[in-house]
Amino acid sequence: MKTAHEIRPGNVIMLDGSPWVVQKTETTRSGRNAAIVKLKLKNLLLDSGTEQTFKGEDKLDDIILERLDCTYSYFADPMYVFMDEEYNQYDVEADNLGDAATYIVDGMEDQCQVTFYNGKAISVELPVHIVREVIYTEPSARGDTSGKVMKPATITGGGTVTVADFVKVGDKIEIDTRTGEFKKRV
Amino acid sequence: MSTTQIATPASHWDIFCTVVDNYGDIGVTWRLAKQLAAEYHIKVNLWVDDLHSFSHILPNLIATKRQQTFNGVNIFQWNNPLDIEYQAGSVIIEAFACELPEQVKTIIEQRHKQSKSLAPHWLNLEYLSAEDWVDGCHGLPSTQVNGVKKWFYFPGFNRKTGGLICEQHLFKEREQWQSDFNNKMTLFKQLGLTGINHHDTVISVFSYETEALTALIRLWQTSTTAIHVLIPKGRSLTSIAPFIPGETNNLIPGQHVKLGNLTLHILPMTDQTGFDRLLWSCDFNIVRGEDSFLRAQWAAKPFIWHIYPQEDDYHLVKLEAFMKIYCDNLAAEISTTWCKLNLAFNQDDQHAVVNHWQQLNSVILPLQQHALNWPNNALDDADLASRLVQFVKNS
Repeated sequence: MKTAHEIRPGNVIMLDGSPWVVQKTETTRSGRNAAIVKLKLKNLLLDSGTEQTFKGEDKLDDIILERLDCTYSYFADPMYVFMDEEYNQYDVEADNLGDAATYIVDGMEDQCQVTFYNGKAISVELPVHIVREVIYTEPSARGDTSGKVMKPATITGGGTVTVADFVKVGDKIEIDTRTGEFKKRV
Repeated sequence: MSTTQIATPASHWDIFCTVVDNYGDIGVTWRLAKQLAAEYHIKVNLWVDDLHSFSHILPNLIATKRQQTFNGVNIFQWNNPLDIEYQAGSVIIEAFACELPEQVKTIIEQRHKQSKSLAPHWLNLEYLSAEDWVDGCHGLPSTQVNGVKKWFYFPGFNRKTGGLICEQHLFKEREQWQSDFNNKMTLFKQLGLTGINHHDTVISVFSYETEALTALIRLWQTSTTAIHVLIPKGRSLTSIAPFIPGETNNLIPGQHVKLGNLTLHILPMTDQTGFDRLLWSCDFNIVRGEDSFLRAQWAAKPFIWHIYPQEDDYHLVKLEAFMKIYCDNLAAEISTTWCKLNLAFNQDDQHAVVNHWQQLNSVILPLQQHALNWPNNALDDADLASRLVQFVKNS
């Protein structure tokens, strides 16, 4: 069991007797600091989708499925292709990557985990922390160095991350893939 | 003796409420329960874990009595584990994500196992927020590990949300009340507030502790016209302690303290109807939390919202989200002044709150007009109870 707060894109959970792959997680805060987690899910048996909302501390039945360490190889629309250390290739549907697709870039060396259900590669989990280069962001507006003033930045691969005001184009930044949050400049 | 039983599904609704902030959570659930009973003829059981706090807004409630009925609503003392026989009805609402008693969850599960159609509609009534994400989360299911479905119900300011609590004839009653100034003068007299003239500025204060209030009191003292601040015993009083001779605990309702042209009046606690009328009768209201925040909007008077403080100043995100929609069609000068005043108050910024209060004079007339127009815009066609009843029918 995991709490809803611990669930990540790529996890597979059992709901009402069916396995669902988590495509996207969105955590927000209700009144009095309580977390609310919205999950975008895809039914692995029926190929249908749904969205559900949970309290952060709600327990969810995550399934331990077979996983393999892999690296990203290439994109063959609509499949992302990953490869294990024995050069076996596994295709994962782009839809199933959810937000993780934002961080997939050619040549990336991050060790990913491909998850299998009934022998089929169904999702990918990225490392919790990855490093990406900022390819565009506005110059610092106020010269803030505290890290409290934030601004949007485009990273390699085209995704957008909210970063501290002091981050510049060309900087490498560490991102938490669970939340999409900027952690620090590397 | 077993305190729970599985029976033929009944049609009543159960609302469970844990009291966290004295009058906020219970304020919202009590209003909802009354409205469902009065306007939709639904038999409502309201389970409350702190009847003592509840009795402040329902003075006839006996805090030691386990079961009693007011306004057609059955009120139960909710002890954990439940020590009153529980029979599930057609709808169970856990207010503000409170944890239902195990016995209740067991009954829901047993009903669900018998047949999904026998399980009560289980709803989590969430806090009010104007943030964008609410639109995407309202009305979504939440399938529990045992297969039972719960639904998240979010109040909100547009049609994609669950709406705002507002009784059917509230606006008409308020308009009638405000059309005759004798009503407010009579109310002030009934509350034991003396020395208030019709043209004096009257401000109600129901906030948390903040130095911003201390700064405003200091400013109002120097006013060239008469100002009356009406303040109940409680958290706001801490902020005016420096102005009170002696202990604030010793103050009694009806007592007043004169500070130059400012008079501080100690308010008695009142029921919800009385509180609404008080807000309708003041020129400006400083309110907090959720229930009084919404009622200040329905009062159609300018207000400051002292929002419940959250970790990492997240409450400021919620405040900004509300200010954005409240000021959507306001001229920049008015909206800037009002927003900065609210922000300063919520950031305990004494200098800024004084500065922006002084600027309020130049925009007060259009701000009053906006406050008058706002309730109908905010309600957006349907109130929370009617949307909730419809939601239950459809889900």
